[in-house]
Amino acid sequence: MESLLQVNHIEKTYGKGGTTFKALDDVSFSIDHGEFVGIMGPSGAGKSTLLNVLATIDTPTQGDILVDGENIAKLDEESLSDFRRDHLGFIFQDYNLLDSLTVRENILLPLAVSKTPVEETRSRVDALAKRFGLNQILDQYPYQISGGQKQRTAVCRALISNPKLIFADEPTGALDSKSATDLLHTLAGLNEAETTIMMVTHDAYAASFCRRVLYIQDGRLSKELIRGATSRDAFYEAILEELKGGASDDAL
Amino acid sequence: MTLFDLAKNNVARNLSRYALYVGTTIFSIIIYFTFATLKHSGEISALAETSKQIGGLMSASTFILLIFVALFIAYSNAFFLRGRKREVGLYSLLGVRKKQIGQLLLFENLVIGAVSRVIGIGLGGVGANALLYVLLRLMNSDLSIGFAFSGSALVETFLVFLGIFLFTSFQGYRVIYRFKLIELFHADKQGEDVPKANALAALGGVVTLGVAYWLALQDLTSPLWRVLSLAMPLVIIGLTVVGSALLFHSVLIFILGRMKANERWSWRRLNMLTTSQLLYRIRGNAKTLTLISIISATAITAGGAIFSMYYYAEENVTSFTPYTFAWEGEARPIDADVLAEATVLKKTVRLPDAYGEREYGLIDESTYRDVTGGLGWEEPAALRGNEVRLVDPFYDERFSEDVDAVEIEGTTYPVSERIGDTPLNVMTFGGIFLVARDDVYDAITAEEVAYQAVKVDDYKEQGALSERLSTETSFSSATELYRDTMAMNGALLFVGSFLGLVFLVATGSVIYFKTMTEAEEDRAKYAVLRKVGISKRDIRQTVRQQIAVVFLAPYALGLLHATVALIAFSNMLAMDFTVPVVVWMAVYSAVYAVYYVVTVRRFTKSVL
Repeated sequence: MESLLQVNHIEKTYGKGGTTFKALDDVSFSIDHGEFVGIMGPSGAGKSTLLNVLATIDTPTQGDILVDGENIAKLDEESLSDFRRDHLGFIFQDYNLLDSLTVRENILLPLAVSKTPVEETRSRVDALAKRFGLNQILDQYPYQISGGQKQRTAVCRALISNPKLIFADEPTGALDSKSATDLLHTLAGLNEAETTIMMVTHDAYAASFCRRVLYIQDGRLSKELIRGATSRDAFYEAILEELKGGASDDAL
Repeated sequence: MTLFDLAKNNVARNLSRYALYVGTTIFSIIIYFTFATLKHSGEISALAETSKQIGGLMSASTFILLIFVALFIAYSNAFFLRGRKREVGLYSLLGVRKKQIGQLLLFENLVIGAVSRVIGIGLGGVGANALLYVLLRLMNSDLSIGFAFSGSALVETFLVFLGIFLFTSFQGYRVIYRFKLIELFHADKQGEDVPKANALAALGGVVTLGVAYWLALQDLTSPLWRVLSLAMPLVIIGLTVVGSALLFHSVLIFILGRMKANERWSWRRLNMLTTSQLLYRIRGNAKTLTLISIISATAITAGGAIFSMYYYAEENVTSFTPYTFAWEGEARPIDADVLAEATVLKKTVRLPDAYGEREYGLIDESTYRDVTGGLGWEEPAALRGNEVRLVDPFYDERFSEDVDAVEIEGTTYPVSERIGDTPLNVMTFGGIFLVARDDVYDAITAEEVAYQAVKVDDYKEQGALSERLSTETSFSSATELYRDTMAMNGALLFVGSFLGLVFLVATGSVIYFKTMTEAEEDRAKYAVLRKVGISKRDIRQTVRQQIAVVFLAPYALGLLHATVALIAFSNMLAMDFTVPVVVWMAVYSAVYAVYYVVTVRRFTKSVL
């Protein structure tokens, strides 16, 4: 079966002339349909750059990124926006909700832009809101609701256009531990319902919810951990073990 | 690190923010200094000596400008300080004393003031000379112009702005003391509650404006004018201001709320974002929008009225002095191309009217035929029997009494028709006169006086001839009238356009400042939109629409106010302002549109 996401030898260089910095160096990997992949690594390892490049927010200096066989590194500006809106979903650490829009409006924003009929929009928003327990607060504004509710709103927004792939960038970073655990269970549940998720995190607990964890360091993929049939707790231990090794490198 | 170093680094780091503020102050100083230079310049002083009105006009305008400039600087200073509350809060949090922060801001503002004064006065000196040239051209003056520099203008400008900057500096100093730390950190967060429309206030706004307009369009003879008399304009202006404020406070919010509630419309593209953003900002901006609509209305009304006067100046000259020269007595040699000349014999009769007695001129029918023929007018209908024709250039149906018949020396003469345009120079012959058949005229025994009327080619250029004839009795000269009219109206037009331009720039700048500050706050918002896959094209569109509403709403309202005011004026003066007013509004709108385009471009560049 063809991979959903195929990353071929991408490279990202910042700066010009003599003072260049390679944020990504020959990174290749693939994600299949229905996977839940975690990307881990210390600060400055290139996690965010990788996510930005994959999310089409940034363009790679070299290399190809294929989503369902389509090379998104070659798309122009407008098609990229459409692609992002129709096929990718995003969840960010700081929610990135628009504070002048209600919860409902925040969720339906991508549909409004893709000119979906009002009735369909309404039914899709209502269904998602019900599933994530937001139906009581649809007409409230982001500043009136809790962090967990905000992040669930963001998840709904990411899911509203039935994306092929969801990118989550440190989604639990701003949440208290209970909300964070709830959200991770939600993501794991989504994954079980066939949604493909790629999550960037530095938190071993969050990463332990993934099926597979890629470890990135100095712009290169350094290690891959696969959960397989082990329990989440065992996987958590394995990740921690791996991190200890990484931490000693980090100290240098 | 001393306070001075801190202030210095501060300026260096926030250069763009400072640039806006300093730009505003420099602009204000340039404007003021230019105007002061004009006022004090030899050419204008000479004109002011010959014409009291020009002198008065310049002083009044300087005063308006002074008030305006002071408000403008105070506004941009307050605006500038608000943007820096967080910075001040940070100092405070780090343990810098309020007194020290206050001193820092005071010192900083005084330095900005000093720098602006130097640059503004330098640039203003150059601008003044360019404008002086324009002014003299508009006034049709052939005075030669050297480079004008006025010491007193320099001193005046310097002192005025020293005062303004001292004031704003202490204003800033006070701000620091008034605010609590927590407020300083939440300065940008105010006004976040999405406003609810108050239908009653919205209705009130519409009604208030309706009443103001209705009052403004009342005729001078209406009983309302009699009751309110001099308070009438104040009542109209007051109602307009209140109505405008309510309009922005409630009506606009009401409309936007309705638009947003319509999901078929608002759930399409970024419409809901556009309306939400506007709703979200509008209450905080209501005061500014009201101010802008009032300023625009003032500038458009004043400019429109002045431009109309200028536009009709020449027509006025020919209607008051249809013959180039007229005087009492003998004919004189005329060394110019004579187009028409006539000797007019006139008798004077006194007739009773409602207020006592009124003096009428009386000429015979063949003379009337002669003078109107010389002007190329249509052949007048022949008079029958005792009929007389009444020529009254000052007739106004609202005030003049209708005369059906006149009684002269015991005989009653019916008035066959009334003519509004006089063929005879008003200043020589008096405005109102009667025309009677030659035999009727001869029968009236009143004393007869001989006058001369001459129309020459190229009347505007007959200065020397006019000068030579000026010693004649009851002399009137179109040449002289034209020169005076142009001097007066040219000066008015110049001052009007100058102030109009200042107002225009000020309103445009205020919206620009506001919008650009919002751009800074909104940058994160637009980044989110980009991340969730909203194209640059859609973002550009919502930006264009949002800024269009902020620009258009107050301007459209100002334009409406001005239109009503100008209709009222033109009714009052019984003149048709349409052409000059439309031209003036088009020019004003064009400049305003440039502001809009620039703001959209800068905003888009800043958020994308």
